[in-house]
Formats: sequence, C-alpha cells, structure tokens
Amino acid sequence: MRKLFAILVVLAVVGAGALWLLSAPVRLSAEAVAALPEGDATRGETVFWASGCTSCHAAPGAKGDDKLLLAGGLELPTPFGTFRAPNISPHESAGIGGWSLADFANSMKRGVSPGGEHHYPAFPYTSYTRMTGGDVADLFAYLKTLPASDNRVADHDLTFPYNLRRGLGLWKHLYLKDEPILALDTSGQSGVDEQHLRGRYLVEVLGHCGECHTPRNVFGGMDTARWLAGGEGPETNSLGKPELIPNITPHETGIGDWSADDIAYSLESGFTPSYDSFGSSMVSVQENMARLSAEDREAIGLYLKAVRPIASDR
Amino acid sequence: MKLAIKLAVVAAVAAFGVAYAAGDPIKVRKALMQATGAAAGLAGGMMRGKMEYNADAGKSAIATLRAAAHAHGSFYPEGSLTGDTTASPRIAEDAEGWNKTMAKFIADADAAAAASGRDGPADLDAFKAAVGPVLANCKACHEAYRVKN
Repeated sequence: MRKLFAILVVLAVVGAGALWLLSAPVRLSAEAVAALPEGDATRGETVFWASGCTSCHAAPGAKGDDKLLLAGGLELPTPFGTFRAPNISPHESAGIGGWSLADFANSMKRGVSPGGEHHYPAFPYTSYTRMTGGDVADLFAYLKTLPASDNRVADHDLTFPYNLRRGLGLWKHLYLKDEPILALDTSGQSGVDEQHLRGRYLVEVLGHCGECHTPRNVFGGMDTARWLAGGEGPETNSLGKPELIPNITPHETGIGDWSADDIAYSLESGFTPSYDSFGSSMVSVQENMARLSAEDREAIGLYLKAVRPIASDR
Repeated sequence: MKLAIKLAVVAAVAAFGVAYAAGDPIKVRKALMQATGAAAGLAGGMMRGKMEYNADAGKSAIATLRAAAHAHGSFYPEGSLTGDTTASPRIAEDAEGWNKTMAKFIADADAAAAASGRDGPADLDAFKAAVGPVLANCKACHEAYRVKN
C-alpha cells in the first residue's frame, strides 16, 4: 500500500514536470534571430496594412491618421473572457519602444513576449508564425516610425482556466504550425504561379483571414477542415450572441458566385457584387486591404477561388 | 438596354419605399435599403467600367441616394430594433453617434446633388468625385449599427 502510494506520487510529479516542460515558451533559435535582415520602413508599410495591425491596436472606430496611433484598448468580448488589445506604439514603457527586433520576431512568430510569457492567440500569431523574416523586420522598422502613445491598457480579464497563461504552451503544440493550409503544386505543371503563392501568403499569413472566417473547435483552435467556411465567430456582438461570420469559400453557400475580380473589387470598394456593403469588423479590414496594390487584391481573389468549397453549417 | 432596366429598377424600388411609408418601419427600411443598393449598383457599374458612363444615370443614382439619406433616419422608431431586422440595438444605445452618422450621410448626399446639377455630372471623373463620399456612408453605418445573426 505504501509502495503503491509512493509510485503514484512519483507518477504525479513526473506528469506535472512533463506538463511544465511541454508548456514552456519556445523562442526562435539563435540562428533564426541572427538571420533577421535589416528592416525597411517603406516596405514595412505594405506589411502593416496587409497584416491589419491597426484594426485591433488603434482606438476603436479610428479613421484616417488616427489609425496610425496604436494605443491599444480595444476590448474583445469572447466566451473565454474579455481580451484587451495592448499598446504597440513605439512608446518606451507603455508600448513596444523598448523592444529589440528579436523580441518583436519572437512575439510575432512564436507568440512569446519579451518577458518570456505566452501571448494569448487573440493576437493571431498562429497566422503570423509563417511571416518571412524580411517582412517581420520591415514591419518592425515601420512601426518605429509611428507616433507614440502613453496609454496604459489593463490586462485581459479571463475566466479560469483560461487565465493560466502557461497552459497556452500545450495549446501551441496543437495549433502553432509551420505548414500552409492550402497545398499548392509549385512544380510548374499545374498553372500555379507567383500570384497564387502571394495570395496564399496574404490570406493565410499576413491577412490572417482564417482567424475569423474559420470556425474554432472547443479548444479555441481553428478547425482547418472547415477552412474559411464561416459560422459562429470568436467575438460576441451587440445582441450578446456569437458574431456570425460569412463563408468565403467558393461554395454556393459561400461566395461561389463571386469572381476573383469581384473579390478584389469588394476589398477595394467595400461593396459586394450585389452592392450590399461590408459591415461590422470587416469594414476596418477592407479599408486596410484598399491600401494594398491592385495586384495583391487580385492575388487574394485568386487564392479564395482556389480553396476547397465547403457548405455552410447553417 | 441594361441601363434602362437598371434605371427602372431604381425608380421602382424608390417608389416602393414611399408606398409603404405609412406602415411598417422595418419594411420601409428594407425598401429604402434596396433602393440605395440598386443606386449604388448603378453607380458602381459605371465606376467599374462594366457599363458606359451616362450623365442621366449618374444623376438618377445620386438623386436616389439623396432621397434615401433624407428618409432613412425617420424609420427607426422605438420598438423597431427587434424582430426581422439587422438593425443593431446600438442605434438606440448610442443615439448621438447614430444621429451624427445619419447627418453625415445627408450632408454628403446633398453635396453630391449640388455637384450633380441639372444635367448630372458631366463625365465619369466628376461623377466619381461626387458620388464616392456618399457611397462611403454605407459601410460607415453598417460598421457600427448593423448586426447579422
């Protein structure tokens, strides 16, 4: 009996130790950090609009130049509790002015803060993880040119067990992946060209479209089997219900009747092919996309016509 | 021919809206939205180069948008924010913001009508300059005050 108890204690300690090790924040390797190039702020501006930073990090409803003041404070009510977007302006103490490029890259690509804690995936690093080192460096250079704000944002307000950050280390083993979602045949035999690859990068990585347009499973991970098929989104709307997100796959219950050109035009103008307008949080996203080149918007259209059509579940 | 059909549709849905004016506010709103959408479609079709620019059509689109802008605000009375509607409860909760948004739609539409004049905007560039700011009001309002569930 005593022996059995001792074995159980040992197993419990080993198990807890294993969980502790498995949940540790994993930073980029020293080689990956050393390989980060010098950033270029001009190129970084394109990365900034494509990545939609301002949609969460500027003051809610910001228009025009106010979109460049990344003071944070937007509240995202979700079933896990309320997330608050932090200040990412170049303010030395309230923002990220004191960060190194390595800090920034670890945050964007590994979801790890300079203090060595996990970020919550309300910050879409599961998408940004595949951002090129060049784009990370360029974006960081651009962010440094923006105005600083001394706004201090309160921490997230989450319920147990989601308030235990360390647990995200386990979550990352499941949902922080390096592979693209849509496999594209790049052998040159299939008609896949640079623009398709650019479209995939814009949608899956920078634009992080899947973060809202792909339904989430019970663990809050993207259900990639239903990639871009919409449904109940992660946020709660003004009726107190889960925000309903459109299906943007080429299925008839999605946007199957939109051409690639229609998709590009909608991102430029904010109008659907039937001249309804975008609404809700998509307005801010569209206004970011309107700043991209026409070629980039066309690339997004091409990609969205190439993903698997999936029927809406409602 | 296609243009004639579009113009007829715009006129018909606008008339439809007026016919219902005395009754159900949600129904009126929907008719106004359809008129607005049809006018935006006419405007967008010309701006996108899907049909040739025509000053009468440009004038019609602007006039329809302006009529809708002036009418819209009157059809959100108390009790009409629930039921078969995508209007957000924020319209009542944030009356100040809502009134400002409506006032901007009206001001932009009035300016476009003034620029449009008696004969409609002379060319496509003039039309774009006049109607562009009006069309931006669609998403500005839908961003904050529409909810789809």
